[in-house]
Amino acid sequence: MVTDPTSQPLVKIRARDVSVYYGDKQAIDNVSIDVPIELVTAFIGPSGCGKSTFLRTLNRMNDTIPSARVEGAIELDGEDIYRSKMDVVQLRARVGMVFQKPNPFPKSIYENIAYGPRIHGLAENKADLDAVVEKSLRRAGLWDEVKDRMADSGTALSGGQQQRLCIARAIAVQPEVILMDEPCSALDPIATAKIEELIDELRSRYAIVIVTHSMQQAARVSQRTAFFHLGRVVEYGETSQIFTNPREERTKDYITGRYG
Amino acid sequence: MSDTHPTRTPSFEARLKQRYAAERRFKALGLGAILFSIAVLLFLLVTMTYNGFGGFSRVELAVPVDFAKAGLTLDPTLKTSTEKIQALEAQGLPAAIVSAAGAALGQDGAAQLGANGWRDAAQAIIAQPSMLNGEASLWLPASDDLANAYAHAGQAGLQPLASRLAAQGKLANRFDGGFLTRSDATDPQQVGIWGALKGSMLTMLVTLALAFPIGVFAALYLEEYAPRNRWTDLIEVSINNLAAVPSIIFGLLGLALFLGLFPSLRSAPLIGGMTLALMTMPVIVIAGRNAIKAVPPSIRDGALAIGASRVQVVFHHVLPLALPGILTGTIIGMARALGETAPLLMIGMRAFVATPPGGLTDPATVLPVQIFLWSDEIDRGFVERTSAAIIVLLVFLLVMNGLAITLRNRFEKRW
Repeated sequence: MVTDPTSQPLVKIRARDVSVYYGDKQAIDNVSIDVPIELVTAFIGPSGCGKSTFLRTLNRMNDTIPSARVEGAIELDGEDIYRSKMDVVQLRARVGMVFQKPNPFPKSIYENIAYGPRIHGLAENKADLDAVVEKSLRRAGLWDEVKDRMADSGTALSGGQQQRLCIARAIAVQPEVILMDEPCSALDPIATAKIEELIDELRSRYAIVIVTHSMQQAARVSQRTAFFHLGRVVEYGETSQIFTNPREERTKDYITGRYG
Repeated sequence: MSDTHPTRTPSFEARLKQRYAAERRFKALGLGAILFSIAVLLFLLVTMTYNGFGGFSRVELAVPVDFAKAGLTLDPTLKTSTEKIQALEAQGLPAAIVSAAGAALGQDGAAQLGANGWRDAAQAIIAQPSMLNGEASLWLPASDDLANAYAHAGQAGLQPLASRLAAQGKLANRFDGGFLTRSDATDPQQVGIWGALKGSMLTMLVTLALAFPIGVFAALYLEEYAPRNRWTDLIEVSINNLAAVPSIIFGLLGLALFLGLFPSLRSAPLIGGMTLALMTMPVIVIAGRNAIKAVPPSIRDGALAIGASRVQVVFHHVLPLALPGILTGTIIGMARALGETAPLLMIGMRAFVATPPGGLTDPATVLPVQIFLWSDEIDRGFVERTSAAIIVLLVFLLVMNGLAITLRNRFEKRW
């Protein structure tokens, strides 16, 4: 199914009045955003504006920071993910994440991909697992480069390959949403282009949220863009509208490079 | 804008020279420190080997025995060597040896045969039963007095006898492999290190079996699970202090606690190991926590983000990556425990134990305590035996560390 980016899409994640505090410091102030299905949503904004913090609230990775506190409601398919009965392990299996710095496990390439399906019991047997690994690597566009060296360490790959390995690792557990936190900030333009192509291919299956510092990247890969500033969402809308005809002065200043 | 670039002025170049000079001084100091350490280590090893080498030999008398004439038999149904030795004793092996010695060495020479010399003969017979059918020349330990006389010390009266027998080739200083298989004795000619070595092995086994899992789990819990609050701070400070407590205090603790609970286990490797485990555990906890802290948070995040539970993150990712560091801490802790004397004195492991321990609850002593006990002996013959025991301790330490380093290298991974 191909979705017309201008029509009203289905909402995958609904965030309402979300505020995040680190101790006494407020990092996110009353953010409300709908993340649509089958589209790429980009979060842009200057450093320290809270994009990454907000992204990490979507799969509760902020739970690992003892001082972090989240207020407001975040719903995944209508379920409140911060309710007390929510299973965080299951949530993170449904909402995968790719980090700014590639972080493959110091294990073989095969083990990197197989780890998730194995702990979740997604493969019946070895042949099944092999198939999952191959499919994930193919989707991440890495299969042809690594198929003959599956036993090599994941850390022996180049930076761009490592990041695609991390994407393959995330999609191996068949998530519904993929969160990407500046996935290309450590990569050269060729690797970046490959990952952008990959994001475009993946969006038909997953809801994708990407945090980026690159205006061009946001314009290239996303259909929705949210501009964050000082912990608030200044403007959220269709990417084409944000970049060509922003409603807010601050958005215009930022995307034209006047500050940030 | 000035005409001269600031990095091309004479003052900059002078400073550059100073910087290079400082680097040269630092390198020279470091090299000096390394060379000094190597010199001290070499001095220690050379003197130790030189002195200790004599400990692996003893003064022995050549005694030709005609076993066929003595009419001894060895019942093949007997199983243990103890039973065989008892059977040979009952058949009059000691008397046969004494009479053979009297014939070969003269009455004064036979009187200087070690009192337990016949046991060595019995061991030789057990190793080679066909010996009983003919004549054999055995080297049997001389008495301590004769051994001293051979070394031109001790009783002046025995020295002519020693010179005469030595000249006849019937008295010599021979390699004594039995030092590694016998246990403690009152006669330096008869002592061996096996009892203490086995005691050390058993004690270390108990220490490792207790301190390693407890230390690792404590470190994992404190690092991965415990909330950061006043209580965990208190526990951290306590563990750090525990690592610095003098070892004899742990001995007192073992005495009061473990021997209070199990009074019948005095001198047992089990109690010794438990006491040393108390001492080793804080070292493993501290090293373990540092190793766990050094695991990059990105690895934890990566595993959490694909839905691993915290236990899975810890056991699949954090622990394997931290293991080399934990093992390094364990080596340090275990090496310290192996060399420890004071706490073991407190729990009775300084007893005279003439048989090697058969299990964890038998009375035993350990290598450093054995060294301490022998160094306290008046008899001259113990001097070299003490040095030999030190060599055995050092070799044990090297083997243990070598094993741990091999394990560590096997687990070492880069990321």
